[in-house]
Amino acid sequence: MKTILSLMSLPVIAVLVLGAAPLCVVVVWSFWTWDPSTYWIRPELSLAGYAAIGEAGRWTVLLGTLFKAVLAASFCVVLAFPLAYAIRFLAGRRLALVLMALITIPFFTSYLIRAFSWRLVLGRTGPVNEALQSLGLIAEPLDWLLFSDFAIMVGFIASYLPFAAFPLILAMQRVEPSLLKAAQDLGAGFWRIVGSIVIPLTLSGSFAGFLFVFVMVIGSQTEVQMLGGAGAPIVSIMINDVMRVANFPLAFAISSVVLICVFGVLLAGNRIFGLARLFEGMSK
Amino acid sequence: MTARSNAATVWILVALAVALIYAPPVYLIAISLNPALQPGLPSLGDLSLKWYVALAGEGGLTRALRESLLVATITALAAVALALLAALAYLELRRGRTIWFLAMLLPLFVPGVIQGLALSVIFTRAGITPSALTVAAAHLLWAMPFAFIVILTSMTGLRPSWLMAAADLGANWWQRTRDITLPVLTPGLLSALIFAFLLSLNEFGRAFYLVGRQNTLPIELFGRMNSGADPTIYAISGAIFFVSLLCVGAIFLSARKRT
Repeated sequence: MKTILSLMSLPVIAVLVLGAAPLCVVVVWSFWTWDPSTYWIRPELSLAGYAAIGEAGRWTVLLGTLFKAVLAASFCVVLAFPLAYAIRFLAGRRLALVLMALITIPFFTSYLIRAFSWRLVLGRTGPVNEALQSLGLIAEPLDWLLFSDFAIMVGFIASYLPFAAFPLILAMQRVEPSLLKAAQDLGAGFWRIVGSIVIPLTLSGSFAGFLFVFVMVIGSQTEVQMLGGAGAPIVSIMINDVMRVANFPLAFAISSVVLICVFGVLLAGNRIFGLARLFEGMSK
Repeated sequence: MTARSNAATVWILVALAVALIYAPPVYLIAISLNPALQPGLPSLGDLSLKWYVALAGEGGLTRALRESLLVATITALAAVALALLAALAYLELRRGRTIWFLAMLLPLFVPGVIQGLALSVIFTRAGITPSALTVAAAHLLWAMPFAFIVILTSMTGLRPSWLMAAADLGANWWQRTRDITLPVLTPGLLSALIFAFLLSLNEFGRAFYLVGRQNTLPIELFGRMNSGADPTIYAISGAIFFVSLLCVGAIFLSARKRT
């Protein structure tokens, strides 16, 4: 017991001091009053920060971010599902390993560089526009490909797809191939098998993948900064803008709302779908 | 529909997913090899490393790269040390394993901007001047959960019976850890070090509020990408992406050899 506690102490201190404590302080400070004379806040209860969220269309940015997150997460799950299915049931050992590597690598490459490379691909003189033009499908380069909500969404999906794939792959490993064989022998077609066996058995994986992408998009900024149009609204950028004029209470209030959303969704997800159980097989 | 065409549908979606992730960066690497000033695919005849050579003359990028390497080294060492402790604790835990696992993973889900902002405000109030260390502090929480997962995964090679046998023969916790657990974990620790290093090297959002006078590479890159990208940007981006690719690929290959 003593060993356990001493082993746990340093990681716990790191998470508390660098992670939890600053976030708690931010939440507390979001209720304090702005003091123009010191350019800082003073410890008097004030809801001005939260009231300011209601101004200048900030609510729409918050809701818009949530909407984008839901959309991106849905696309990611839809694409990650066949990927996980192929790795488990269609690919040979070698190919499955290659696919696993391809899904792991993006976690450790630069989101900034990946978003930037989309800018090159989707630009007016980029390969997508040129290909469409040389095929004769369009006469003029498409302007909405880049610096648009379309570009942002493509960037989100490309960036965070691995976050959806990982839990789905884990969930898929627990589906016995013999189950699918049995259903096949009994005459069930492909879609019937997928619809009534594979999807229900991997639902927790789908949901975990959805949640992870959802949370990542809420906290994202590079994709919007690289691919979005002028003033493309998302909460991270809004926080940056607010901080540019050093409006601490408002920045802290927005941060608190986002944090509550993110952790609320995660905890609820864990409660309903048992996200933690998904990882048990991995760490035995 | 036949079984074959169903499988083909699945594979097409898989190809689409892989292309979405990889096609643009590969295109970026391709145009970084184009000696022309305008971005575009080079013809195979005149592939050139011209812009990579030109990187040596880019003082700003070199300094930023050096800063990033320093931050990444500090982050990797600290993250792996902490993650190892956390993993050893996980091994000892009976009940509460799941909670411990989740607690170590939670920092992953704090949005980077908010984490960076919160830390920077605290550091400023505490009178800590921004430096490589403050950036590393923010990167640590991003890298540690990944290192923890990697180390846990490498624990699958550890049989509980070995530890029990050693305990029966009178080995104390330290002897068991030194002579059994750590040797099994060594390859995992190495992978975790490389992963943590790469995560820190490529991290942008968390460092934004915490850098001191010297920018880290991603922040320097971000500035240049937005002020009319010149071809050296493609070269440095291509180089960084390629090195990351190579490192993770190498880890996978070595893991496959062991199993």
